[in-house]
Formats: sequence, structure tokens, C-alpha cells
Amino acid sequence: MPLVRNTTPMAEPHAPDERKPVELLATGSDEERWIAARNAAETPEALSLLTRALSVERVPRVREAMFTALAKIATPESASVALPYLRSEDAGLRTQALDALRAMPASAAEHLSGLLDDSDPDVRLLACEIARALPTDDASRVLGELLESETNSNVCSAAIEVLAETGDAASLPILARCAARFSDDPFLAFAVKTASGRIGSSER
Amino acid sequence: MIDPPQMTEDEFRRLAEFLYRRTGMVFTESKRYYVERRVWERIDATSSSSFSIYFAYLRSEVRDEVEQLINAFTVNETYFYREDHQLACLTTDLLRERVATKRPGDPIRIWSAPCSTGEEPYSIAIWLLENWKDVDNYDIEIVGSDIDTRVLEAATEGIFGKRALMRLSSEVIARYFHELDDERWQILDDLRQSVRFSRVNLVETKETRPQGRFDVIFCRNVLIYFDDESRRVAAENLYENLLPGGYICLGHTESMSRISPLFEICRYSEAIVYRRPEELRRAR
Amino acid sequence: MPDNSTRRVLIIDDAALVRAYYRAALEAHGFAVGEALNGLEGLEKLLLEPFDLVIADINMPQMDGITFLQMLRSKELPVSSVPVLVTSTEAGPHDMAAARGAGANYYLVKPIKQETLAEYAAIFCGRR
Repeated sequence: MPLVRNTTPMAEPHAPDERKPVELLATGSDEERWIAARNAAETPEALSLLTRALSVERVPRVREAMFTALAKIATPESASVALPYLRSEDAGLRTQALDALRAMPASAAEHLSGLLDDSDPDVRLLACEIARALPTDDASRVLGELLESETNSNVCSAAIEVLAETGDAASLPILARCAARFSDDPFLAFAVKTASGRIGSSER
Repeated sequence: MIDPPQMTEDEFRRLAEFLYRRTGMVFTESKRYYVERRVWERIDATSSSSFSIYFAYLRSEVRDEVEQLINAFTVNETYFYREDHQLACLTTDLLRERVATKRPGDPIRIWSAPCSTGEEPYSIAIWLLENWKDVDNYDIEIVGSDIDTRVLEAATEGIFGKRALMRLSSEVIARYFHELDDERWQILDDLRQSVRFSRVNLVETKETRPQGRFDVIFCRNVLIYFDDESRRVAAENLYENLLPGGYICLGHTESMSRISPLFEICRYSEAIVYRRPEELRRAR
Repeated sequence: MPDNSTRRVLIIDDAALVRAYYRAALEAHGFAVGEALNGLEGLEKLLLEPFDLVIADINMPQMDGITFLQMLRSKELPVSSVPVLVTSTEAGPHDMAAARGAGANYYLVKPIKQETLAEYAAIFCGRR
């Protein structure tokens, strides 16, 4: 039979590399760095290792594994390693950082109020997506607060997008006030109308 | 029986948008009736006092509620030759690509994870023996893994009922099973000894790594239910378990777009399959 | 013979409200619309069905708009040549240059008026 018997010993997988992650991350091939990144969460000094390695890594798949390691560690400190990359000019890197933060919602939540208050509207915008991962009531509260004072219409739209999912009766007047402030923005008016509709009928 | 309370259109849209974002599944108006019924079953089962309360619970991913809800919409029954278009793709396209760089006698390794009670790995074995012209030219190793040791025991035993065999012709049944009694058939010893079963949690790298590298992995209807972090880790594990150029097949309602950007998308005759990229050959 | 000239537009944006807004605008102008939530899903849709135009956002989960463009342009014809109109909240020259460099046909800064979107859709669906 061309099918291999299950009594045949299985081929030994490769012996694990004995070199230390710090060495592999510095000098290894793409695959070696990727494996080292995957293993990094379990090493002592993981955070300093990953912080340094992320700052020089150019291969997206290896960076992704580093971000996964941060998400596995899942502490406010590991989340803070990902945070600066939200500001990157590289759209791919911003996405990777945001996805990592989404994968550690409780840790990311510790930084959320700072992010929602950031001077850079692009950061505030991405922060609305982090708020989506909060428990429903918290998300609505935090984004409602943002909406009351936010001056950038795209950031408002990002908050409204999440409120369409999480919002409650208390969100409705906040949404209405926002629409009034941005009466020139056609998308925002549409967004408020649609989000209010989603919320309005759910109070049963 | 009293009709369940109806969902408002906006409640339905809110739920549909959440499910689309979370799983990639699209629920249009035409499916509303089924969704409503299932939602009200779950509202009851979770003792939620309203749709809003239930929706907050669903969003929180505290337990496997997404799986509980979605399970009702996908056919969960496992049986032989389920999703046979993927088996056809395996022999017509995937293995053809894989053996392009293999020599006669080289191994081909195929992983079914999760394998549940064994229908999938045994189906792969039978399908290859029945349909692949090159089946005798390679050493084919089929591994079935699951997190649940009870289903693995059943898989090893290889006893199945009528429903599991409903897609198989009587010739195929006669060739690979012997009848125990009216209701049960057992896979022939030869074939039973040709599938290796192992207990593996797909999220645990320590458990996935020792399984080695595969040419093709079938990982159906499990990844989409993991939380964000587990999905990433499991996807990386599966990538590591693939040979460069190796393929991974998901369930037909699943998409890597909700799971991981690691894999290349391959379109083959009406099916989408994913691939670990080939190694780039670089001068060092 | 039936007139098969309905142009098909694929909207790739992770915001459901944005997709709904664009859909309303495009359908009102006679376009057929498909949707995807991120670049990966967009690529899958493009591999399965033909589209005359893609409208893609930049910031999306799993695969951003720039990476989507790079992957798309490396595929085979005819899929790889579909016109792509990039939308973004960023108005800076760096982002426009990145989009152009990745193979975008045009770049619109959000918020976008529905009439504007329909206008550009008509222009880019005419060109192949």
C-alpha cells in the first residue's frame, strides 16, 4: 500500500536550534529570525529583545511574529512596545501594530485614554478601533466622551462606526450633537443617521 | 409553538455586521428567518433578557458564543467525502503541484486537523487510493489530530454508521470497510493502520511542532472560532507545519482574511485554497 | 442581446458605514457593488469575480491598502490591471506617493462626497 503505516516511526522534526534567540534575531536567515521571534515570548528579557528586534526588522512576516509574541505576553508593557508603530508612515506596520493590540485587548485598554487624547488625529482614529474591543458599555462611554469634544471629522466617523455596534440610548444625543457640529460633512451626517437607527431600536 | 419575537431590521443589521466582521460570513435579508430563530434560541440558552444583552455577551468573546451561534448555520455533521470539491482539488491541482519537485518514492504528508472521529483523514486516504493515478508512486503519510482524546479513540477504532457513509458508493464501502452489523461498518485494518492519530491543540506550538512538516493541511471550521490571539498563534503554527509551497484548506465559509496575512491565496476551480510561499532561492 | 454594461465596483474598507455610504452612491448611479473588509478579502473577491474598478482604503486589518495594491499588481492579467482608486484620511504627500508607487490610479482624501465618488467611478470604469 502506498500509504505509510502508522507504526513506522515518524521522521524526527528538526532539532531545535541551540543558538540563543538574541543571536538568531541578529544574524539568522528570515526563517531563523521568524522562528526565534515565535519563541521569543518565553525567553527572559523578552520585551527588551522584541523592542530592539522590531526596530530593525524589515521582513513583514518576521515583524508579524514579533507582534504575535507581544500579544502572547499580553501586558500593558508589551502593548506599549507596539504603540509607537501606530504612528508609522508605513501603512503595513500600522496595521500590524493595531492587529497586535486588538489581540491583547485588556492590555491595550490600559493605554486607550492616552491614545484617544493624542495630538495626532490619525492616532486617535486608530484608537477608536482599539475601543471596539472593550466591553460594550465601556466602549460606548469612552467613545461618547471622545465625540463630545473631537474636532476632526474623520476621527468622529471612526468613533461613530464603533458606536453603531456598541451604542446605547445615552449615545443618541451625543451623536446628534456631533452631526450638528459637522453639518458640512456629508458622510458624517449619513453615519450618524445610520448609527442612530442601529441603536435606537435596540432598547428592548 | 409560539413564534419567537421578531428581530427588528436594525438589530438584524447590527448582528449581521458584527458576524461579517468577525467571521466573513454574509447574512442577507433572505437568511433573516433562520438567523432570528437561532438568535432567540441562544438568547434563551444564555438567559439573556433582551437582544441587546445577548449582543453584548456575543461581542465579549467570553465563551464560545460565536461558535454556538454560527454552528447552527453551518452543516456540522461529519461524514465521508464531505466537501469533496476540496478532495477533487487535492488530486487535480494541489498534489500535482507538490509532486512537480518530488521523485518517485518521496514522501507526501497530509494533515487533517482537527480530525474529529476520523471521517476526514480516512476520506483523504480512500479518495487518494480511488482517484489519484500517482498514488503508488509516493509514500503517503496521513496524520489526523484533534484536541479531544475521545474522538481520537473513536477515530482509531474506525467504526462508522450509515449516515457517515452516505456519500460512499457500495463498491467503495465494500473495498475499505467490513460490516460489523446492520448499522455499523469498520475500516479495514490495513487502512486503519495507515492513518496516524495524535492529540494536538492547534494553539500550542509545543504540540504542533513535533507533527513535522506537511504538503497539505486540512484545517476546517476551527480557526475562525478562536479569539484574536489564538488565531494568530494557530496560523503561525500551521505555517510552520507547512513545507514551502505547501497548501492549507479551510472550511468553505472560512477565509484567511479573518485569520492571518501569512498565506498566499490560490484560486483553483471555484475553490480558494491557501499556500505557504515557496522559498526564495537567494545567493548568500 | 442583453446589454451587459453594468459596471462592477469592489469597495474595500473596514468601516461598515463607509461601505454602506459608497454603495448607496454607486448603486444610485447604476453600478453593481461588491464589498470586502480588508485587502486580503479584496484579493479573494477579485480572484473569484471580475470587477471594473476597486475603491480601497488604506488602514484595514490583516492587510492594508498599500500591501493590497502591491499584491494585486503582482498577480496575473487581467486581475492585476483593474483600476484602483485609493481613499484615505491622510492628505500628506508621503501617503499619496506610497499609493502611487504601489500602483494606485488615483487618490481621494476622506471624507468623500457621494457625487464625487460616483463621478470618479464613472471616469475610471470607462478606462481599461
